[in-house]
Amino acid sequence: MTQGKTGTELAEPPKKPVTVSINGNAYRADEGECLLTVAERVKIPIPHFCFEQSLEPYGACRLCMVGVVHHGKTVMETACTLRAKEGLTILTDTPDIVKYRTILFELYLAEAPKSAVVKEMAARYGVTKTRFLRRVDTGDPLGGACVLCGLCVRVCNEIMGAGAINFINRGPYTVVNTPFTEPSRDCFGCGACAAICPTHAVRIEDRDGVRILHSWSETKVPLSQCVSCGKYFAPAALEKSVLSRIEPPLRDDLAGLCPACRAKKLAKKEILAATGGDPGDA
Amino acid sequence: MTGVFDRAAGEVAGQKKILPGKPRIAVGLATCGIAVGGEKVYERLQEIIKKTDADISLTKTGCIGYCREEPLVNITIPGKPLVILHKVTEEDAEGIVEAVKKGTVPYKKALCRVPSWDHVTGTVITYGNGFDEIPLYADVPFFKHQKKVILRNAGFINPEDIDEYLAVGGYATAEQALTRMDSETIISEVEKSGLRGRGGAGFPTGMKWRITRDAPGAAKYIICNADEGDPGAYMNRNEMESDPHMLIEGMIIGAYAMGAKKGLIYIRAEYPLAIRRLVHAIGEARALGLLGKNIIGAGFDFDIRIATGAGAFVCGESTALVASIEGRTGRPHPRPPRLTDPGGGLWGIPSDLNNVETWCNIPVIIRNGSGWYAKIGAEKNAGTKVFSLVGKVDRVGLVEVPLGTSLNTIVCDIGNGGAQGKKVKAVQTGGPSGGCIPVRLFDTPVNYESLNAVGSIMGSGGIVVMDEDTDMVDIARYFINFATGESCGKCVPCREGLRHTLILLNRLIARKGTAKDLETLALLADTIKNTSLCGLGQSAPNPVLTTLAYFREEYDALVKP
Repeated sequence: MTQGKTGTELAEPPKKPVTVSINGNAYRADEGECLLTVAERVKIPIPHFCFEQSLEPYGACRLCMVGVVHHGKTVMETACTLRAKEGLTILTDTPDIVKYRTILFELYLAEAPKSAVVKEMAARYGVTKTRFLRRVDTGDPLGGACVLCGLCVRVCNEIMGAGAINFINRGPYTVVNTPFTEPSRDCFGCGACAAICPTHAVRIEDRDGVRILHSWSETKVPLSQCVSCGKYFAPAALEKSVLSRIEPPLRDDLAGLCPACRAKKLAKKEILAATGGDPGDA
Repeated sequence: MTGVFDRAAGEVAGQKKILPGKPRIAVGLATCGIAVGGEKVYERLQEIIKKTDADISLTKTGCIGYCREEPLVNITIPGKPLVILHKVTEEDAEGIVEAVKKGTVPYKKALCRVPSWDHVTGTVITYGNGFDEIPLYADVPFFKHQKKVILRNAGFINPEDIDEYLAVGGYATAEQALTRMDSETIISEVEKSGLRGRGGAGFPTGMKWRITRDAPGAAKYIICNADEGDPGAYMNRNEMESDPHMLIEGMIIGAYAMGAKKGLIYIRAEYPLAIRRLVHAIGEARALGLLGKNIIGAGFDFDIRIATGAGAFVCGESTALVASIEGRTGRPHPRPPRLTDPGGGLWGIPSDLNNVETWCNIPVIIRNGSGWYAKIGAEKNAGTKVFSLVGKVDRVGLVEVPLGTSLNTIVCDIGNGGAQGKKVKAVQTGGPSGGCIPVRLFDTPVNYESLNAVGSIMGSGGIVVMDEDTDMVDIARYFINFATGESCGKCVPCREGLRHTLILLNRLIARKGTAKDLETLALLADTIKNTSLCGLGQSAPNPVLTTLAYFREEYDALVKP
């Protein structure tokens, strides 16, 4: 509709600007852009658990369902798998979506009854109770807060390449853990799983030079200690893996230092060089 | 025999096996026949023939589909009609051999006679006349309303002998297609025939082939979906066990039309006999130059491999099926990308996936022409469909009818109504993804659209009959329990929603449910249907939704006042 107007020439050549309509308002987007990203950018709230920009759309949490208006008919689709194109018209709060979203939130409230995040998010959409039986599992390593969005599994396998955790069982018995629920030898201890978890369900603790991944079968990963200040600063396996991939390699005199000491050493060197001192003293 | 394909030689050899010029006894040995003692009958017959030094050819066949009457044994006496004996036991073996030696058959065991049989792919085998006291095949109520197009050879030829398949016109169509037709002609024939996917969704097959052929990239795969998993459905099993070569022939034609050099059959591990017969048939086809390099001497390379599943229902879903073949967990992913899209198919290569029965239709369509095929069945629903008629029905078996045949014809005329004279109450079509259709809607024609309109689906073809004693809420619970166990666990409506549906149904059946629970059940089922990621979840609540719609009183009766 507004194609070819101002702004077009500023856009990157392969990305064609298009106009999409969300709840009756027109917004600019790049053709092929994920609709959930567009909505987030223009601050239109669409709830979701399983979406993360750096990963392929997964379409599992079903919370980001929106109504796509096409030839007068509204069809429900997940916003994370929708791609922006000229004239795409969506509605985020049709009566159907409100109805189904309510049930989905109730299912989540029953599945992850201990999750404060789920409770808050559901409450934002007016869902404060669930009609369904709550899961009670006192031994759950994820503390009754996992919604099986799969982000931890995907980040571990697809981004970190560690493959330490995955889904076990299927259907309602699905859980995430290490193979055979034994401590993992593949885990770097990077903690990406905990960082990405939308419900903060993954429990990790650093204690006495060891990172303990409580949620993942108590996997223990040794931490590297700074040769200068003595602080534990990173899982040893992760440090080794990262250092093996940088080009040019880390200078020998910086080896074994924590980031803070490394910065200190580099800064001192610069100062000594500038003030005529011997940089070798640093 | 390796190298150049010589169909005529095999055809002659096969004819001598089907009509050996001496009596032939063939025991129906598909899984169903074996389960009721067919193998014992075979062994006993073998023993007696050897002992009495009788000049009788003994062989095995697949299954003609009349499960209730098994084990079935075919007798061919030169110049006489083929006679099908039913409910044959080991004790009958001696009498059979005695009678055959005298040029007759044990009349008491005779189900029907077949003077000649049209194998549809251009060959009619004429057996002969006589035995007039035995009813004709076409007069047997179970067979009378059927039309055999897919099961054209089932129960007549030895599935483990490629010569017999060649003798009934087998591979003549593949030869015709590869040597005298081009891709465009074949695809347009399949399109014009109106053939729709027999796996249940009913997508136009020709269109899928065209999309696959035209997808970017030179490499294409074709895949056969043989992951038949609906409880009570065994059409594909019998198709593969009774006539594996028709599947292979269909795939050869499809591969040529789509330019695929590699084909895969994804078959569930629970079908060991079907796997064995397919492996054997693929070996036979390779030896005759029908698979491999330069097949049929037409300068086209194509081969088929078999991949076995590990018993997951969800792996019948296309994206989960591909994940399973690739060695990943069988979990569906959102479509697009579809299998036919670049990046979406097997190993990222555009792939065409068709059900066993869809492939089996191809040779007859190409052989007899799209016009011939389009005339069978109903509008927009061309062709026949095989159904497994099971449950509380009198005549249990595999039934092949033109699409558009009413449920009444299938259940009452072919199936003879309820078992033991009980009144039929409903049928479940489409397995756990289908719905229950009450007897008052039995004039519904069985086609893709009409079944959808009454809340069920065609599915792969299971028809489970329920009688007056069947508790419909319990039926719903059975299917929900099945679907809950088979859910992959990826999306929340299916994983959690089905679990809670089951909890609610159990509560109702225990008479602890309330009217509120019933309301929640309906809303939950509706949510699962409309928000699930893949076809499994989207269709899993159908048994609940249809029983709620048609048998609401049974639910109400369970609710505390």
